[in-house]
Amino acid sequence: MQDLVLNAQWFLAEATTHAAEAGGEHGGGHGGHATLSFMGLMIYTFAIAGLIMILMAFAKKGLKDRVFKGRLLQYFEQLHGFVENLCVGIIGGHGRKYMPMIYTLWLMIFVSNLVALAFPSSPTADLSFNLGIALLAIGYVQWEGMKANGVFGHWKHFAGPKLPIALIPITLMIFVIELISEVMKNVSLSLRLFGNIDGGHQAATAMNELGKESNLFLVKYLPFGAFLMPIKMLTCVVQALIFCLLFCVYLSLVTHHDHDDHADHAHGEEGGANAHPATT
Amino acid sequence: MLPFALGLAAIGCGIGLGLIGFAAMNGMARQPEAIGKLQTPMLIALAFVELVFLLTVFVGAGSFKP
Amino acid sequence: MSEKSYPKKSSAPMTIGMIIVGAALMYGGMYMSSNVTLGFQESLNEQGILLDLGKTIAVIGVFLILFKVLDLFFFNPLHVAIDTRTDDLERTFGEAESLRAEMTQMKSEYEKRLADTEADARAQIQAQIKEAQDLKKSLMADAQRQADDYKQTAIAEIDAEKKKVMTELRVEVTKLSLQATEKILGANVDSDRNRKLIDEFLTSVEAKN
Repeated sequence: MQDLVLNAQWFLAEATTHAAEAGGEHGGGHGGHATLSFMGLMIYTFAIAGLIMILMAFAKKGLKDRVFKGRLLQYFEQLHGFVENLCVGIIGGHGRKYMPMIYTLWLMIFVSNLVALAFPSSPTADLSFNLGIALLAIGYVQWEGMKANGVFGHWKHFAGPKLPIALIPITLMIFVIELISEVMKNVSLSLRLFGNIDGGHQAATAMNELGKESNLFLVKYLPFGAFLMPIKMLTCVVQALIFCLLFCVYLSLVTHHDHDDHADHAHGEEGGANAHPATT
Repeated sequence: MLPFALGLAAIGCGIGLGLIGFAAMNGMARQPEAIGKLQTPMLIALAFVELVFLLTVFVGAGSFKP
Repeated sequence: MSEKSYPKKSSAPMTIGMIIVGAALMYGGMYMSSNVTLGFQESLNEQGILLDLGKTIAVIGVFLILFKVLDLFFFNPLHVAIDTRTDDLERTFGEAESLRAEMTQMKSEYEKRLADTEADARAQIQAQIKEAQDLKKSLMADAQRQADDYKQTAIAEIDAEKKKVMTELRVEVTKLSLQATEKILGANVDSDRNRKLIDEFLTSVEAKN
């Protein structure tokens, strides 16, 4: 009975509807916060992907019109422009190549974050999921770097500036440090997302304990954690943005110095009107 | 001991975030047309400072032996 | 539009290959999640960080599939539609712009013609005025000349008349002087010498006058 009350309170804290499909979740886990089982994570992920695809299927109807009339399609178009600004602004003229990838990542992370607001768990509140997308992102950055600079050129890039032959130990050290920093990029990308989303959950849970000692029924079961909702909503947007932003920055670091300095200027003013995106 | 240590970490993180926000706000107020350019580096810097705190919480606190 | 090079639809083998790799990764992740636990995972789990590499690998697979599927399903059509619409709008704007330029040109031509007509009319009026003035001037000059002629004639007539009268007067005065002298002297002084004397006197009187 006590468990039931606690669970109900926790659900309330997440402001919420009951997670019907969260069957894969095995609660408890370590240190009080729930982690998803393999099937649970897959169910969540495919549910979110399915949701996105259903929205897209609705939005696709208006695609043939001369002017986009559907509200949903207009949102998607806005997002398209936003992602385009992000890519072109940070990476440069050839950044459009990466748009589908960044668009997908943005949508998945953002919707997962929104799900984390209302459901007891979410893909992005799971470190394994975040490590997966971080590995994918950094791996893709390495792949693009090798494609842009050649395999040897890309590895040489890790070794830092050209030093005289006597200083080879330093070059080796720089190489090792750069390798570690590449690994740390994974860790930082995944841990940041995980920490923010899961931290939000834990903060809500911890705040729900506040009224525990009270004798008043209202205070005892008041979901204090729900008051964190606004800042959690902000976190949703910002974390999705930062993931995509950093992905773009890493991509631009490995690809930008070869061909198109002139291409960015053509798009310099595009981002000016928009609030978020960056222009260089 | 652990809550105290976490509090210290939070103080550091707060100072770092505040400095970034301060500088960015200053710049934006002085040059409103540069807001688009300032926002991205600001967000990146915020993310990195926040990361330190998250590392403290999840790695440092996890390995803390009372 | 060369700059808006959206990634072209990747070849079918690539897409299928990525989907197969993704599915394989998902399956491998599932196997790994239930059967394999690496050493550092244990230590991480002890620290309270629950990491399951099987899930990580499966997520990579899922995203490999998602990138391709979402691109084919929505992003590419969306981008193509937006590009088409942008081109359409640009073309419409271009047409409107050229029409506007044409209108401007026509307007300037019309204005030029108007100005030409006005200048023409003004020049004609000026010419008419000038002609009229010339006419007036010549007429006035004619009248002046005629008047001068009349005046000259009149003066000449007056002079002639005056001369005639003077001559008669002189003759008369000479005769009267001689008669007076005869009466006074009682003798005929009608000699040439006397006549000459009177003439000289008269001449001196005339010169004084």
